[in-house]
Amino acid sequence: MSKKEEKGFFSSLWDSLSSLRLTIALLIILAVVSIFGTVIPQNAAPEEYLRVYKTSTYKILKILGFLDMYHAGWFVFFLALLSLNLVACSLKRLRISWRFFSHPEESLEEAQWKTIPLSRKFSQKGPPAASLRQYREALTSAFSKPKVLEDHQVYHLFAEKGKFSRLGVYFIHLSVLVILAGALIGSFLGFRGNANIVEGQSTDRVILRSQGQAQALGFSVRLDKFNVSFYPSGAPQEFKSLLTILEGGRKVITEPIRVNHPLTYKGISFYQSSYGIASVEKVVLAIKDRDSQKEITVPAQMGTRTEIPGSSSAFLLAQFLPDFQGMGPAFQVISFEPNRPHENLWIFQNHPELAEKRPGRYQFTIKKIEPRYYSGLQVTKDPGVWVVWVGCFLMMAGFYMTFFLSHRRVWVRLTEKGGRTWMEIAGSSHRDRSGFEKEIEKIGQALKEKPRKARKESEESEDQP
Amino acid sequence: MISTKMLSSVTFLYLLCTVLYFNYLAFRSERLGKIAGGLSWITLLLHTAAILLRWVESYQLGIGHAPLSNMYESLVFFSWCIAVLYLLWEWKLNSRILGAFAMPFAFLFIAYASLAPGVSDRIDPLIPALQSNWLHAHVITCFLSYASFALSCGISILYLLKLRQKEKGQKEASLPALFPPLDSLDALIYKTIAVGFPLLTIGIVTGAAWANYAWGSYWSWDPKETWSLITWFVYAIFLHARFAREWRGKCTAALSIIGFAAVIFTYFGVNYVLSGLHSYA
Repeated sequence: MSKKEEKGFFSSLWDSLSSLRLTIALLIILAVVSIFGTVIPQNAAPEEYLRVYKTSTYKILKILGFLDMYHAGWFVFFLALLSLNLVACSLKRLRISWRFFSHPEESLEEAQWKTIPLSRKFSQKGPPAASLRQYREALTSAFSKPKVLEDHQVYHLFAEKGKFSRLGVYFIHLSVLVILAGALIGSFLGFRGNANIVEGQSTDRVILRSQGQAQALGFSVRLDKFNVSFYPSGAPQEFKSLLTILEGGRKVITEPIRVNHPLTYKGISFYQSSYGIASVEKVVLAIKDRDSQKEITVPAQMGTRTEIPGSSSAFLLAQFLPDFQGMGPAFQVISFEPNRPHENLWIFQNHPELAEKRPGRYQFTIKKIEPRYYSGLQVTKDPGVWVVWVGCFLMMAGFYMTFFLSHRRVWVRLTEKGGRTWMEIAGSSHRDRSGFEKEIEKIGQALKEKPRKARKESEESEDQP
Repeated sequence: MISTKMLSSVTFLYLLCTVLYFNYLAFRSERLGKIAGGLSWITLLLHTAAILLRWVESYQLGIGHAPLSNMYESLVFFSWCIAVLYLLWEWKLNSRILGAFAMPFAFLFIAYASLAPGVSDRIDPLIPALQSNWLHAHVITCFLSYASFALSCGISILYLLKLRQKEKGQKEASLPALFPPLDSLDALIYKTIAVGFPLLTIGIVTGAAWANYAWGSYWSWDPKETWSLITWFVYAIFLHARFAREWRGKCTAALSIIGFAAVIFTYFGVNYVLSGLHSYA
């Protein structure tokens, strides 16, 4: 391959990398493939997929990375290509935009004066040199401070505003890169895990969400107490876990966490995510004697044989299940009645009606459970999160500059003709033309009025003796 | 509740406004236009009062929170945003052309709130995940952006109708001939998206910040998040396609309609078709 051809290859690579077509193609691809990830459940258990898909479909989806699509190699590749495209396009355009800073167009050529769409012409008494200060001041107060150039008795005034809005688009592009960088930092240096802690117990490690491995925290966290409260309607009102951070066995902080109110310690945040009943210490049962139709309440403890008062019968709470096949909390009760083999039965907190169907002398229903809760915590570390917020802030600034500011330029040319000043005004705005037209109108008025007023005042003062 | 009854009559009034704006277009009567405009402002006033009243009523029930917490309330607010943005536009540009294309949206969404069987108008207490100040910033910016996109979709429909009439060489007397010139419509589509796109971005960012507090992660590729990003991509495509001469016009108008379809799917589709963390509205 000759040197010339090689250069051709790289320059054509650069051309396609910095092309608008690539940007649009990539955005379309990303938008379309993202849909798949919302239709196909992501990171679910294999059994869950096999319930919906055939085994062969499942395997194909798995190989193609559709089951964890947003982290699949090809998805990341498209994001990386978009980033490259973004950089290339920005560099290409920045060269053009930078000219507005390095070589501002301070005066217009004769041909430009004729073709510029937005221009006004006036004539005024007196030569331009006499009122130059007034013209300058008028433009300063009506628009912004002009630069004045003199060229063979012709004066050129140039003023501009909102030059920086030309850079807004680069802020936006840069912000996308910053956000992606923040996400990368988070995925390499951070982790996301879960910990279920039973009241009174502590842990110094969490189970990572992605690989299921344990991750040491470097300190311990203890659940002192878990509280859940409900609205009268039964909807949950608040979940609260009282956490204590322990380092080397010493208490460091004790703080409650709630949904929307996490606790952060040494860069690791703890979020209230779920809860459940770990075990039951005490239960209050209502026991109805079918013979006498009398009901008594009896407190009982798990695993201890409890006599039923006023009888020769007894029972034992053998087992507790927080959720028995979707029917809610349930106890396995063994009842001992004289002259009968002991009986094994399940009683349900949420379905007391089932107790009526049970045979035997006694009917058991649950009055109250004093559970020991566990709290499900989401534990994350993400050192990239502030980078993401910086990126978001940059993006907002970029949007403001791009959509709400515009680069407006005003040129004024003052020429002397027969003792009069010929004033020409031209304007250009790279956005919101119609708004700028009104502004040019105002600037024209100011440029006419101010020198006239000043001349009148000086004439009046000359009149005075 | 009084507020619910008020909102039912507001729904009816929006229908009336829609009919009036269509008649204004068809008969080109300035008087009809003025009546349509005046009635719209009255409707908006009642709509605002009803929302504020609902807020007060929630406090009387002892569960006080801003009326932005479920499907019903968000639909009512969405409709309100469309009416506000449209009327501001009408007032600023002193043109009622778009009324027939904006008011139907305001009507449809509030009508859906009252009529859809799955949408309950009850005031419920806030579940723990929604008890956050981010709620207001997130919901308000999202729905203002959605409303802005609804307007741009309306103008895009106008644009395509007018373009078709022009391509077919229809008579000057036909309805699209009344619409503003294609160039100004194109500029209006751009302007509404230039407002909607930053607002959508703020909506996504406030949502991410909130998710970071509530769920411990600013981005989890939840279907709602992903669809909001897809919507964002569509409007990003729109903004970039405008740079290419061959795409500007028909193509960008179509993109703005596709963008609003993505908005609608993000809003409704994700809740009804897909499942995820974001199940409130």
